[in-house]
Amino acid sequence: MFNLVIGQYVPSDSYVHRLDPRSKLIGVFLFVVIVFLADNWLTNGLMVLFCFTGILLSRMRFSFIYKGLRSVFIIVFITFLLNLFLASGGDTLFQWGWLRVTSGGLMQSIFISIRILVIIVVTTLLTLTTSPIEITDGMESLLNPLKKVRLPVHEFALMMSISLRFIPTLLEETEKIIKAQAARGSDFTTGSLKSRIKALVPLLVPLFVGAFKRAEDLAMAMEARGYHGDAGRTKLHQLNWSWRDTMLLTAILLLTVLLILTRN
Amino acid sequence: MDITFEHVTHIYGQKTPFEKLALDDVSLHIPSGSFTSVIGHTGSGKSTLVQHINGLLKPSKGKITAGDVVIRANEKKQSLKKLREKVGFVFQYPEHQLFEESIIKDVCFGPMNFGVSDSEATKRAEESLNLVGIPASYWHRSPFDLSGGQMRRVAIAGVLAARPQAIILDEPTAGLDPKGRQEMLDLFAELHKRLSMTVIMVTHNMSDAAIYSDQVIVMNDGKPLMIGPPEHVFLQTEQLRRVGLESPETMLFLDKVMAKARKKERIPAFTIDQTADVVIQILNGVKNHV
Repeated sequence: MFNLVIGQYVPSDSYVHRLDPRSKLIGVFLFVVIVFLADNWLTNGLMVLFCFTGILLSRMRFSFIYKGLRSVFIIVFITFLLNLFLASGGDTLFQWGWLRVTSGGLMQSIFISIRILVIIVVTTLLTLTTSPIEITDGMESLLNPLKKVRLPVHEFALMMSISLRFIPTLLEETEKIIKAQAARGSDFTTGSLKSRIKALVPLLVPLFVGAFKRAEDLAMAMEARGYHGDAGRTKLHQLNWSWRDTMLLTAILLLTVLLILTRN
Repeated sequence: MDITFEHVTHIYGQKTPFEKLALDDVSLHIPSGSFTSVIGHTGSGKSTLVQHINGLLKPSKGKITAGDVVIRANEKKQSLKKLREKVGFVFQYPEHQLFEESIIKDVCFGPMNFGVSDSEATKRAEESLNLVGIPASYWHRSPFDLSGGQMRRVAIAGVLAARPQAIILDEPTAGLDPKGRQEMLDLFAELHKRLSMTVIMVTHNMSDAAIYSDQVIVMNDGKPLMIGPPEHVFLQTEQLRRVGLESPETMLFLDKVMAKARKKERIPAFTIDQTADVVIQILNGVKNHV
């Protein structure tokens, strides 16, 4: 029912899985920034190549990632069309009324589509290979310096890990309630827009009731086990920066240098 | 309504890394008007099995016939609504599905979805609420003000209000106190007897399965391991134990008594009354021998 690959974690033991979450987070962040340096075929090719290498090293099946990206294709396609007709420059390839396609516009829309896809693939790869707990641990560790200016970094990380932790639970709950209401003849997939929106009420009310109840239980359970926030708290999973992580960042720095040298 | 499974296979998350075979070539028959219990340890495919009966899950392979509706693999447009009207489904913790502002409105939700008129739906709702024993003074209150046991009754009334011919119960007594449990089970036994409803109950409680059902399906690893009357199934203690199940406590107790009386035969007895009778029989027998 929920065929979303983005945000899902697939446990495995590949190079990418074993990387320190911090290096992956920094890496993805840098990558998303340098994507904007790419402005010709060579540089865009480099970005795509980097993605493919990442997927290969993570030992994810291409078909699996492709399936997850299908829902994003619509967004990419709309962006492609908008750019195709609105961007100008170069020779006119095609004109119909006020609609005009230029070679510059075509190039730009292809590059922008590649840019969006590459960003989505890399961030998907991050979540596919890094468990939510690792991600929040990494975040917390990276944001640690901000504690000096009294930012509640630990609390933010906790909120994030709790919400990430409960996404699957909520999805499961949603599926259960959809099934229970479907068994009572409720129909979520057909009918007019109005009737479909109305059909959401029997789904949302129980979902909210359940979420509040669960939040209360969780707060109680945490207090019962003496949770008192950040001060003096040790970690079960120690983060471990290895030479591979340095390699990843070096690779991205090299890529940046290459991009700067080869871009127009 | 008769329910038949023919070579039904169900695979969760087909073609993803999470692929899992949940039902493996299942063929079985649930006769009309029977009380069937489905037992098995967690993950044995019980819930998956029963969710096929009203089309909440579609088979990956094979065919299911429920009354005059047929569900096949890879068929998109199906008369699922008609099927769901005839087969009610009470989920685990059904009280989690309540959403309306008043009890009566919530119970009306099912029949209204199946195209019943307002007045008819209200009539059926009142009938069902009477059946599950929610007094009329409560009917216009919010379902969220009720106790857990009462909420469950309201939810069950919501399923009954569609007037199904068969009803599926997925662990209907989970989380209830002993009195609530007993009342709930008595309610289902009555529905079965008085309205000759086909009842299919998924349960972890062997005694409930033994006492109430005429047919027991033991699931293991996505396959039915045994199908038969409880008097037969619960004598196979060894086989049950191998798949992580126990015989009802009364049977375990009788086994101990038999062993102490140095007797070999095994008599199925599931209620306290039956057990007492068997114990007296054994004691008399022993006395006669001495």
